[in-house]
Amino acid sequence: MLGYLWLVPLLPLVGFVILVVSQGNLDKRWVPWVGAGSVGLSAALAGWIGYEFLAGPAVSYKLPLWSWARVGDFSADFGLYLDFLSLNMMFVVTGVGFLIHLYSVGFMVDDPGYARFFAYMNLFVAAMLVLVLADNLVFLYLGWEGVGLCSYLLIGFWYDNPENGAAARKAFVMTRVGDTAFIVGLILLFAALGSLDVQTLLHRAPASWRPGSDLAVLAAALLLGGAVGKSAQLPLQTWLPDAMAGPTPISALIHAATMVTAGVYLIARTHALFELAPAVLQAVAVIGAVTLLMAGCSALTQRDIKRILAYSTISQIGYMFLALGVGAYSAAIFHLTTHAYFKALLFLAAGAVIHSYHHEHDIFRMGGLRERLPVAFWSFLIGSAALTALPFTSGYYSKHEILAAAFAAPDGAWLWGAGTLGALLTGLYSFRLVFVAFFGPPNLRASEHLGFAMTVPLVVLGGLAVFGGLFPMPLGSALPRHEVAGFAPSVEVVTEAAPFIGAGLAVAFYLTRTWSPEELVRADWGSALQRLWFNGWGLDWLYGVLLIRPFRWLAEANRGDVLDDVYRAVAYFSRAGHRALAATQTGRLRWYAAGLAGGALLTVAVGILA
Amino acid sequence: MISAVDLIALLPLLILTGTAILAMLAIAIRRNHRLVFLLTVAGLLGALALVPMAANMTPRTVTPLLLVDRYALVFTALALAAGLVVVCLCRSYFGVRADQPEEVYLLILTALLGAGVLAAGRHFASFFLGLETLSVSLFALIAYPYRDERALEAGIKYLVLSGAASGFLVFGMALVYADTGTLEFSALISASSTLTIIIGTILIVAAVSFKLSLVPFHLWTADVYQGAPAPVTAFLATVSKGAVFVLLLRYAVAGGLGQAPALVNVLSLLAALSMLAGNLLALRQDNLKRLLAYSSIAHMGYLLIVLVAGSKVSGSFAAEALLFYLAAYFVTTLAAFGTITVLSPSDREAESLDDYAGLFHSHPWPATVLASALLSLAGIPLTAGFVGKFYLFAAGGLGELWTLLALLVVGSGLGLYYYVRVIFQMAKPSLDIAGKPTAPAPLEAHLVLVVLLVLLFGLGVYPGGVIDLLTMAALR
Repeated sequence: MLGYLWLVPLLPLVGFVILVVSQGNLDKRWVPWVGAGSVGLSAALAGWIGYEFLAGPAVSYKLPLWSWARVGDFSADFGLYLDFLSLNMMFVVTGVGFLIHLYSVGFMVDDPGYARFFAYMNLFVAAMLVLVLADNLVFLYLGWEGVGLCSYLLIGFWYDNPENGAAARKAFVMTRVGDTAFIVGLILLFAALGSLDVQTLLHRAPASWRPGSDLAVLAAALLLGGAVGKSAQLPLQTWLPDAMAGPTPISALIHAATMVTAGVYLIARTHALFELAPAVLQAVAVIGAVTLLMAGCSALTQRDIKRILAYSTISQIGYMFLALGVGAYSAAIFHLTTHAYFKALLFLAAGAVIHSYHHEHDIFRMGGLRERLPVAFWSFLIGSAALTALPFTSGYYSKHEILAAAFAAPDGAWLWGAGTLGALLTGLYSFRLVFVAFFGPPNLRASEHLGFAMTVPLVVLGGLAVFGGLFPMPLGSALPRHEVAGFAPSVEVVTEAAPFIGAGLAVAFYLTRTWSPEELVRADWGSALQRLWFNGWGLDWLYGVLLIRPFRWLAEANRGDVLDDVYRAVAYFSRAGHRALAATQTGRLRWYAAGLAGGALLTVAVGILA
Repeated sequence: MISAVDLIALLPLLILTGTAILAMLAIAIRRNHRLVFLLTVAGLLGALALVPMAANMTPRTVTPLLLVDRYALVFTALALAAGLVVVCLCRSYFGVRADQPEEVYLLILTALLGAGVLAAGRHFASFFLGLETLSVSLFALIAYPYRDERALEAGIKYLVLSGAASGFLVFGMALVYADTGTLEFSALISASSTLTIIIGTILIVAAVSFKLSLVPFHLWTADVYQGAPAPVTAFLATVSKGAVFVLLLRYAVAGGLGQAPALVNVLSLLAALSMLAGNLLALRQDNLKRLLAYSSIAHMGYLLIVLVAGSKVSGSFAAEALLFYLAAYFVTTLAAFGTITVLSPSDREAESLDDYAGLFHSHPWPATVLASALLSLAGIPLTAGFVGKFYLFAAGGLGELWTLLALLVVGSGLGLYYYVRVIFQMAKPSLDIAGKPTAPAPLEAHLVLVVLLVLLFGLGVYPGGVIDLLTMAALR
């Protein structure tokens, strides 16, 4: 059965090809069967393969596919690699991916671009599976760019609105900054270690580099550059909130559950490389800690339901980076998995709200939706509980593991502090959303009509968000085991209490209205802070001043591009050369014969003289 | 004496000869286009089928003239396959245009025989015989539509200039013989390179350069490409040039010519001039056949890099690179000229770029084939041409020929301009120019295009299979 692994990424690709080739002429009834069906088959197959793999004794399985080119030392062999890490990712991508496809069958049904939507989604799933299953970095990069392309296409899915196009471009360009670092890192690795096969690299790197050597640090830093771009971490996180311009299932699939966590996967996959660069690993932890706080604060001030969730995603990925940085790779992957469940749930529930309530995004114009939208409400409640890491939900186990690992790390008290403060913020912004949108006097303008296709994924994901933390993937053979001593009791109390304090604050501010948030904002410092946070710490403004404006100025100043003259000269001389040579094509035989004789003379002269 | 094993080794060539004689007799008894066509196809398939059998006997020196080894046989198979393609294109092309189309097949068979002899040549005599067999057949093929003024003119031009080039060739051979006293290539390796040998060798190279249309021996190329019937141009561009190149590499490796700096200089100069001038000439060309002629000049210049590098890299790698490039170039060029053939109306040929305006809309299938062929010529990844060019870069890099590689880059850049220009032309909105119907689509010609298109992408996506085959054909 393992030999059929190649079918897992191929099935969605076939779905994509069918949907694209039919050019929207496929009967609308068949589109979901192709679009969601291909991913469903792929998920079923992945489940079967995973069952066999878990039951078997093997810890890894390599399936060579084909050798694209082998010239000299350079070889580009493509193959799939399955171990517990990639198996875990495969489950998440196909499983959550299928549920979101199913949801989209209902959600997108009235959209004129129904087939196009599923075509892009299928392509995305195929590319994401290539990313997680690839056995070499070139192949992985193919998937990496593939998901980037799909992200671009789907953020700008409603391309009639220029704002959506701008958001898509922003996402593409920002991640491209990271991708460039990534590809430079790949070239560096190939030049230094002579291979891009992941397993070979991971064996060769410790053998040829000592920890902390310049090359190791540089290579790890470049890979980190790719990871922060894709995973929307400091300083490249500004694209993710804008990416919410895409349809909500896209936000759930690409910008919450799968693609944005690719950076986490990349670092976990190449962890041996990062271990050789302790400084970079430290940077990973710090980036994670700072990002999770910044994004948590920003989430507090947003009004748009999807933007709150987007900042929350950045914040949660910050936790994963924090875990990676302190060496708790399996905790990071565990949180990735549970996050995929509850964040997909939250986004799909948000989609259900938007769907049922006149495409409204602003939570302050909702209120009292609890009774009219029971499925969305309960989904939101469960998802928020898991996000806040309340006990007995999946998020509790994974976040707890991360905080414990952070505390145990050398100088980890600060990291733990940041994480715990972040947990408090998480509780606050999650329940702020729930209370503002769903509580209050009943709202009679909303009506829930979700249908089977949209309800089932919410229920299943709700179950996973609660119970998904009970069955962590045994990652021990793929990632180094991380033993964590328990907390001191006082620390334990603080860790456990933080989410409750956050949630409690939300109750006081937004449910019982004991304290008024408006009053905080009325103060000068409050409104300044509110504006700063609302605008994502002004990073967009900063980049605008530092990069975009100078660049625009330069472009403006160089309107008659100097470099263009170079190309114009090339074109001019090429044309001149063409004219001169064309003049020799007289069509006269005597001239041609003379050419022959002249050529012979020339070659003999060169042969003798030179 | 010739033994039975020798005969088996020669079987592909013998079958070709036999088929030619049979075809001649069949024509003499009663003209029947279909019969001669089928006979030729059968003969070519038979010869192809016997190549593996002959390969079991290799390497084998048959008479002092021929060395049948895998290198020769791989090229022979390639040439036979190309011949098969050309024959399929010829059937409808000449069936409509010529009153007596049967002899075309006869001439193609003899030309292939010449190519096979060239590929196996290890001696100046077989070199000359093979080359002349090939050339003389080509004269007749080019001028076959003798009522067409341009074809006749092209034939005469090729005849006269080819004769002059043969003069250089024989004179060069005589000079080499005068100094070494032998006509075998392998004798050269032990001979000290005197001035006579160098001049003799350069004259031989000059004559060969004429056949390969390397600058400055290229002036005839565009006129002949344009004047010759499209399927014949396809043959001329592929089999004729490939055979000469294959011989040249064997000559260079067997004769140890890579060690002579004078010769390396001459070849580098020819390569550099061809890459530049060929691409520049093609730049603003508005006639597709002439454009492909100029592009072939550039491609032969590219391919010379392998030969120049051959002095530094191993002979087996040079042979692998050359044969792969040729295979890719054959597939691509045949696809391009095949499209021209299929698109040509019965009274003229579709050669002006204006004929191709809006082709994607009016004839999407041939347009796809032509666009793929042009992309392959430009060396775009996932096409055969890309892997071929990759080999050139590998060979040039191993041989440290940085100047030539720089010119290859420049040439590829120029090349992209004029190849893509044609594709743009095809993608234009369809201008409904009257009188653009094509001849009734012949089935076997379309079939051939399908096969070529599959090969074109097959070699680009999965070159591994062919490469494995070629590494066995290492030239020692």
